[in-house]
Amino acid sequence: MKRLRVIAGAEWRYWLRSRLALGGALLMAGLLLATTAVTTLRMQGEAAERAHHQAKAEAAFLAQPARHPHRMVHYGHYVFRTPTPLAGFDPGLDPVTGQSIFLEGHRQNTPMFAPSGASADLGGFSWLSPAMVYQLFGPLLVILLGHGLIAREREAGTLATLLAQGAPGRLLLAGKATALLSVIVLMSLPLALSAALAVRDGDPPLAAVALVGVYLLYLSIWGALALLASALLRRRTAVLAALATLWVVLTLVLPAVAVSATSNAAPMAGKLETDLVMLSDLRKLGDGYNVNDPAFARLRAELLAEHGVQRVEDLPVNLRGLVAQASEQKLTDTLNTYARAQMAAETRQAIVLASHGWFTPLLAVADASRALAGTDLAHHHRFLQEAEALRFAFVQGLNRVHAEKLSFSDDIRRSSDAQAEARTRVDASHWRLLDRFAFEPDAACSRLARSQSQWLMLCAWFAFLVGAGAWVGGRLKP
Amino acid sequence: MSARSASASVWSALRREAAFLARDRSAWAWWLVVLFLSVLAVSAGLDEVHRQKATIAHLVEADRAERMAVLETRKEWSAVYHSFHLTYDPPSEFAFAALGRRDDAAWKHRVRMLALEGQIHERDAGHPVLALVGRFDFAFFAAFVLPLVLIVLLHGLRAGERVAGRHELLVATAAGDSGRLWRLRAGLRATVVYSAAVLPLVVAAGLSGTAAPTLLAACALLFAYVLFWTLVCAVLAAWQQTAEVILATLVALWILLGVVVPAAGRIAIDRAVPMPSGADIVMTQREAVNAGWDLPKASTMAAFVERHPQWAAYTAVERPFEWKWYFAFQQVGDQKAQALSEAYTDGRMERDRLAGWLALVAPPVLLERALQVLARTDVRASLAYEARVRDFHASLREFYYPKLFRDERLEPAAFEGLPEFFPRAAGR
Repeated sequence: MKRLRVIAGAEWRYWLRSRLALGGALLMAGLLLATTAVTTLRMQGEAAERAHHQAKAEAAFLAQPARHPHRMVHYGHYVFRTPTPLAGFDPGLDPVTGQSIFLEGHRQNTPMFAPSGASADLGGFSWLSPAMVYQLFGPLLVILLGHGLIAREREAGTLATLLAQGAPGRLLLAGKATALLSVIVLMSLPLALSAALAVRDGDPPLAAVALVGVYLLYLSIWGALALLASALLRRRTAVLAALATLWVVLTLVLPAVAVSATSNAAPMAGKLETDLVMLSDLRKLGDGYNVNDPAFARLRAELLAEHGVQRVEDLPVNLRGLVAQASEQKLTDTLNTYARAQMAAETRQAIVLASHGWFTPLLAVADASRALAGTDLAHHHRFLQEAEALRFAFVQGLNRVHAEKLSFSDDIRRSSDAQAEARTRVDASHWRLLDRFAFEPDAACSRLARSQSQWLMLCAWFAFLVGAGAWVGGRLKP
Repeated sequence: MSARSASASVWSALRREAAFLARDRSAWAWWLVVLFLSVLAVSAGLDEVHRQKATIAHLVEADRAERMAVLETRKEWSAVYHSFHLTYDPPSEFAFAALGRRDDAAWKHRVRMLALEGQIHERDAGHPVLALVGRFDFAFFAAFVLPLVLIVLLHGLRAGERVAGRHELLVATAAGDSGRLWRLRAGLRATVVYSAAVLPLVVAAGLSGTAAPTLLAACALLFAYVLFWTLVCAVLAAWQQTAEVILATLVALWILLGVVVPAAGRIAIDRAVPMPSGADIVMTQREAVNAGWDLPKASTMAAFVERHPQWAAYTAVERPFEWKWYFAFQQVGDQKAQALSEAYTDGRMERDRLAGWLALVAPPVLLERALQVLARTDVRASLAYEARVRDFHASLREFYYPKLFRDERLEPAAFEGLPEFFPRAAGR
């Protein structure tokens, strides 16, 4: 134990003297500081803006005057998704997907106004977030510090002395690994701070701890890679060049190649394509505006029989409202079937992409990070589903008001003259049926559960590298 | 030394260095790696372009069938209300090299005669996770991966010889001009990298029918870019430092130019050019359209006539519901949101203009953007497509308004004259 500490301590003294290590650490710290400040400010600004817009949209809906309830179906409503506190660390899909949806009758709209569409286009790396700094540049710093761990001793001729003095190769490697690990822990402190702040702002502690953990594991993988390369290759320059190449391949090339491979392996029809298939299904459902549409003949016959009347005018409820309700129900069932299929296809594609995490830890850690921060595809999908649930609830609520508060005979004549039109307005108090929309991120357990396979991948990488390290340590030669 | 003997000595030096390089196995490995990555990048791009073209061909068919079905089942203005029209932006012949905005900005829309502002921001873009990670296209490979290859390949040219103890000897024997030796070495290696990168591009351009000037411009841009990084590497390689310090410095420079400057620039530009929030545009439009139902019909028609004076004589609305009044307040909704919408478009244009200036100090971004301009996958192309959608929507209105206001019957034959959406002419 003491020898382990001595070896690690010697390494630390070397780093503290080395301008290279110092420069790298300063660069990393600067990047983290800047991105954290900027991302946090941006996310807070967006959270405030979206909350403001949500309140405004709700107030506008409730403030509408008396009118025909179906008009409110088309007036529609906006919902906005506010980011989680951890999104300040990893904004995830937030810049790519829109966070506002217009909800209206008979349609499921897409989210609009993704920030990436309006921002200055300066390439993919310009969306630098603290998470990206850790994913891309954390490994570089680890490489910079770790590449010389063994190779330096070998070049200076001290490795032979160390081994000859009876320090077994494994112990030497373990000592060096301890030193590098302590640096990695130190590097994770800013992340831990962000996570702590996010917990203060309401994110679950478990998710925050897991987030720190997953990056520790990720950086440790790079540490192990650096140590291995340092032990295996003879010259320090060769180690550094090999590790730099590995970094280019694992963090820049493979993830992008995986994207291209995924769109080949799991092609997915876009929304327009599915919409066009869906529309021919929708046409079979009948026209909800036409009470005489044969599609609603049974509903009409049953109602007449139930109330023992001959004419729809004599029903105690407004058939037009009931038809609107029945039609919206059928329509929404179909829309949801297609929406679910679309989301399933997106999830399948995401899973195919995620499976490339076996080849590069970057994809694994990025997926896990998004899941834990609450900014992944699953959260996006849940936003869409909850927005849809709200849409259906208020549309059907308005259709119920339509059925119960308006007489059929007034309703059918509403376009004939102004007085008839005035009789089809219902009181504005009915608009209060609108539910408040507040998007709650997933609980920590389900976030963790979704990052399960990524943990598995990273653990496998780590275990493999540690195993390799132990093997190399046993055979370490000067 | 006479000119002839000088050129002869250049030749002999070149031959010697080329022979030296040909025996360098690591140089061969790098040449193969670059070739492989370049092939990978262009073939992924070609695949994606092929897929997008197939999608468009399929959509054009499905859209026509769907509209025919609507026109059959619906009558008159209800048919117009329910008719969607496909608009799309086909990928250019060079799009395979730089997919640019086509990953996260919509390049296909279906629009109808209603207020456009509620429709044009709908996005049928690709998979968000795939868009976030980003594709491996040639532009990304050339702008970000290629410099790193050059850095790894060239950083140790001098320091390596110094460690091997040959540096002084080489300098001493390189008759007269010792700098030339390093220039020659770096130049040869860079040329090999350049040729490996550009070869697949040329082949793919031939396959996809890229115009020669476009391809030449791309090759020239890439050449200038490789030259830039070669010079940077050569300058730093001359630094009296160990190879690892040089490598770390070069990588730091790469991070600075490719990541830090663009990231800071994006934030600065977004701050400097404020834009209306998208939510405000759509909400303004919705309020205006919905207010149309309750406002006195005369005031809607008056607002409409301001823009369309030719229909002033036909704006009397007698019944509680008339289609011309309905479509008029849809138009008025767009008019009310117009200022915001234009500010939004102008803002994006201005941000892109500033990004273009900023790219001058960030060569990786400059190359990526330049290739996107050649491929017409940049922000301007995306905005130009949006403008074409707006034009098309306007032509739909131009087509229907005479029929609407003169109260003509819409016979099925009338739909045969419907305006068609023309994407940018092929090859342009």
